[in-house]
Amino acid sequence: MTTSVTPRSPERSGDARPGTGRQQTGADGSPSAPARRARKGSDVRTRVEIAVLAGPATIMFVGFVILPVVLAAYYGFYKWQGYGTPTDFVGLGNYKIIFTDPDFRGVLFHNAFIVIGSLLVQGPIAIILALLLNQRIRGRGLIRVLIFLPYVISEVIVGTGWSLMLQSSGAVNDLLQAVGLGALRADWLSNPDIAIWTLLAIISWKYIGFAVILFLAGLQSIPEELFEAAQLDGASYWQIQRRITLPLLGPTLRIWAFLSIIGSLQLFDLVYIIWGQYIAATAGTSTMATYMVANGRMSGNYGYGNAVAVVIFLISLVVALVYQRFVLRRDTAGALTEKADR
Amino acid sequence: MTATASIVAPKRGRRPQDSGPVRRERNLGTYFIALLFILVCIGPVAYIVLGGFRSNSQITASPAGLPSPWQFDNYLSVLSSGVFWQQLGNSVIAAVTTTVGVVVLGLMVSFVIARYRFRGRDALYSLFAAGLMFPITVAITPLYLLVKDLGLTNSLAGVILPQVAFALPTTVIILVPFLRAIPDELEEAASIDGASRLGFFFRMVVPLSLPGVVTVGILAFIGSWNSYILPLFILNDASAYTLPLGVQAFSSQYSVDTARVLAFTSLSMIPALVFFAVFQRRIVGGLTGAVKG
Amino acid sequence: MTRKIRAAAAIALIGASALVAAGCSAGSDAAGGDGGKVTMTFWHNSTTGPGKAFWEKTVKDFEAKNPNVTIKIQAIQNEDLDGKLQTALNSGSAPDVFLQRGGGKMAAMVNAGQLMDISGSIGKTAKSEISDGAFGGYKQDGKTWAMPVDVNPEGIWYSQDLFKQAGIEGTPTTMDELNDDIQKLKDANIQPVAVGAKDAWPAAHWYYNFALRACSESTLTKTATDLKFTNSCWTQAGKDTKAFFDTKPFNDGYLTTAAQQGAGSSAGLVANHKAAMELMGAWDPGVISSLTPDGKPLADLGFFPFPEVSGGKGEPGSMMGAVDGYSCSAKAPKQACTDFLNYMTQKPVQEGYYKAFNAIPANKSAQSVVTEPYLKTVLESYNKAPFVSNYLDTVYGQNVGNALNTSVVNLLAGKGSVDDIVKTVNQAAAKG
Repeated sequence: MTTSVTPRSPERSGDARPGTGRQQTGADGSPSAPARRARKGSDVRTRVEIAVLAGPATIMFVGFVILPVVLAAYYGFYKWQGYGTPTDFVGLGNYKIIFTDPDFRGVLFHNAFIVIGSLLVQGPIAIILALLLNQRIRGRGLIRVLIFLPYVISEVIVGTGWSLMLQSSGAVNDLLQAVGLGALRADWLSNPDIAIWTLLAIISWKYIGFAVILFLAGLQSIPEELFEAAQLDGASYWQIQRRITLPLLGPTLRIWAFLSIIGSLQLFDLVYIIWGQYIAATAGTSTMATYMVANGRMSGNYGYGNAVAVVIFLISLVVALVYQRFVLRRDTAGALTEKADR
Repeated sequence: MTATASIVAPKRGRRPQDSGPVRRERNLGTYFIALLFILVCIGPVAYIVLGGFRSNSQITASPAGLPSPWQFDNYLSVLSSGVFWQQLGNSVIAAVTTTVGVVVLGLMVSFVIARYRFRGRDALYSLFAAGLMFPITVAITPLYLLVKDLGLTNSLAGVILPQVAFALPTTVIILVPFLRAIPDELEEAASIDGASRLGFFFRMVVPLSLPGVVTVGILAFIGSWNSYILPLFILNDASAYTLPLGVQAFSSQYSVDTARVLAFTSLSMIPALVFFAVFQRRIVGGLTGAVKG
Repeated sequence: MTRKIRAAAAIALIGASALVAAGCSAGSDAAGGDGGKVTMTFWHNSTTGPGKAFWEKTVKDFEAKNPNVTIKIQAIQNEDLDGKLQTALNSGSAPDVFLQRGGGKMAAMVNAGQLMDISGSIGKTAKSEISDGAFGGYKQDGKTWAMPVDVNPEGIWYSQDLFKQAGIEGTPTTMDELNDDIQKLKDANIQPVAVGAKDAWPAAHWYYNFALRACSESTLTKTATDLKFTNSCWTQAGKDTKAFFDTKPFNDGYLTTAAQQGAGSSAGLVANHKAAMELMGAWDPGVISSLTPDGKPLADLGFFPFPEVSGGKGEPGSMMGAVDGYSCSAKAPKQACTDFLNYMTQKPVQEGYYKAFNAIPANKSAQSVVTEPYLKTVLESYNKAPFVSNYLDTVYGQNVGNALNTSVVNLLAGKGSVDDIVKTVNQAAAKG
């Protein structure tokens, strides 16, 4: 999970320096140049400090994050069972199989469904809830804690609990029956037509509180004066929301959407816990990650599995880059108030 | 408000809204909707917790009902089984070590990126920022092979080290702006007083960046506590399992005993919930602060 | 100053914790030398009930007879076993003794040099009292790689009470008769067949048996080596399977029904008289008895072999079946490990095995204590069978096996066609 922080240029006095405005720091940005500092000549010492301080983190990061993905690209060119060294070079053979596998196409569709579905379901509801909760009501702190709760619980627990509740003879169907909606009872998990909607519902349940909290934070950074001015001008509540609140909430919305998209592309735990490694595809809920695990490690096809990992990485990378270029760039281009950012 | 103060002390108070007759009506409606929303959020959690207090025949007969009578042996049997505590211990070790590692390493490298100037600094920052594109789900297959080659399979170290590495991008992105916002005057004052750059780091930067550090630490802790796919690949031996793995293993092994599974599941929720309850202000405040800037 | 020390201490703490964590990790201990104290790890798949207790007792007895040997048991859920085993074998932290399914899965291990050749260490009891046929499944390249402990032919397990309730007399011997009986059960409002499709293989077993009826023995064995499903009998088997699936004989919610875990599993359904029958290997009575309301074997359990299907090239009376056995890993301590394997085949241990698992022991002299009528039926059919094939997902290895199983589930759920089965397995063969 990432959130970006925009530092603001602190007031300086007494430093003769050409105007150094701070650049915004977005998720794609690079740090702006701080002021020149007087160096007392100990360049070697500085270098040592840099190495010592930055070294461990960089080594760990390169070693455990960058290196595996590079290795994945390498292994992906082989057919390999996972022991010894890879010897069966197949070039792009694995990738050809990936893109001609109907299962993989299904998986792409499922992921896309989850991505778009999450945005469309969670976004509007969370905005409305955030607007509602952004008032001074008693117990606001408690409410915020309670709605954030599902986010804190692991997906494993969420999956275990919900799969018990959603069984044909489980609590959900029982509750529907009890309130007279017995006709709505269904095979929530096994029916391939419904299963992916069930998945979407569970995901939304888990992450909507997070969205509400983010939006609340964004709302609170909108200056009160704007609302007062608009009210003085005679704007109605909804006009205010439409013309002022939503646009100013824009940067928060876009960050949230980014996090949601990336998270949806990586979905694994919930699907794996509820549907297991075999029937996720049949139930219509398989994702790229479950496909990778089922066809790669669980089948002993490590070369193929690595190729799938590379494909997932490239897809995430393209989506992220495109998003940052076309959507987030707007936020770094200009701000409406001194406090809006990204 | 100066930059430092506003970052260092995230706003706690709320700005009061107008009150009036219209507001009060909206308040009632608001309360109602909020209540509904809370019920939806808490309902399933309550189901899991209460389910542990029922017997299997109760659950079969009335799936959505309340415990009657309240059974305590499910929870007691889980609490008295060594398995639960062992897995809890593993989770604690993994989460605490990960958090410490993330905070220390992250703070060090963020400090360098934020306050030193050297060639390749931008590249270093972009390196970490690009790490967001490498989620652990993508890297897990080759990562597993790497951990295997290092001989760390089946050990918590094989879980901790990658977790620290994967938590670094988020940490760096959150901490760098925090650290950069510390005014240069403080650093200059410190160096006038004779402290080295490192001294400045330890004596001033660390305390001033505490809110960001706390946020980062909490994210790292929760991330490690709930992590599933990494332990799934790395830990084979049941005695090395962390709680998420334990929940899944327990639920498949004892799936006939639904009530006991629910008890186990809700007990493994508790540490995360307690942690969250204690730090909720920090978590929510930290998120708020990070978003607002 | 204090901050520096604190930071340094923190860094040291991480390092120390990591080391401690690594040290505290459990993994299989390196086997000691053959003299002196030896520790072995033992993986089996009986996580509950008398089976688990049987292994604990057997290990204790063996340790008593061999005081310098300690064995650490790990019971792993059946569905997780193959994946975990492969991981452990590949990462060099393999258990010393573990369940061996044979077939292509074993072939992969043999080819990777992960198994111990026990041909020279088979004890007298095993040689004289276990049939060659049972060993046959564990031979490769002229060597033996595992010790059989039971034989598990497959057929249909049913509840005699429920059959009576539906007005069915006797048991079906042909597919048409089975379909009639299923209709009778439906008319009597009884779920005819339970299937644990969530684990994929139970649904696939229907396909295996149809393939057994449609394909000749030579086709089945040839496909095991070349992994090409080109013979028309495979499509025929698919068509037969689809025809059967189309009669909708299965329980509600079969897609999320597990095979053996819990009262909601297919075995649990039969155990609680919620479904009339299921297609399973001869381990089923044991599993069912642990899921009955009183935990005792199901009193009205019966067995009949898979019905004949007309027009196929398979010899009538052929059965699907596996042999259960245990292998030693290549790195296990040879003497202790083979001693343990031989100990498992002793008559009293085999009799205990039968009592715990309600399954047919491999030791022929122990088979005489089998009393249950249904097991006697199984033994009869097994001894008469002209050809016993191992389960196809085992024969064809984990990669193709998984794909085969999943494609049958797709067929069952209406998401795939008969041709897709062949396409999927061919594709899986290409992935590996």
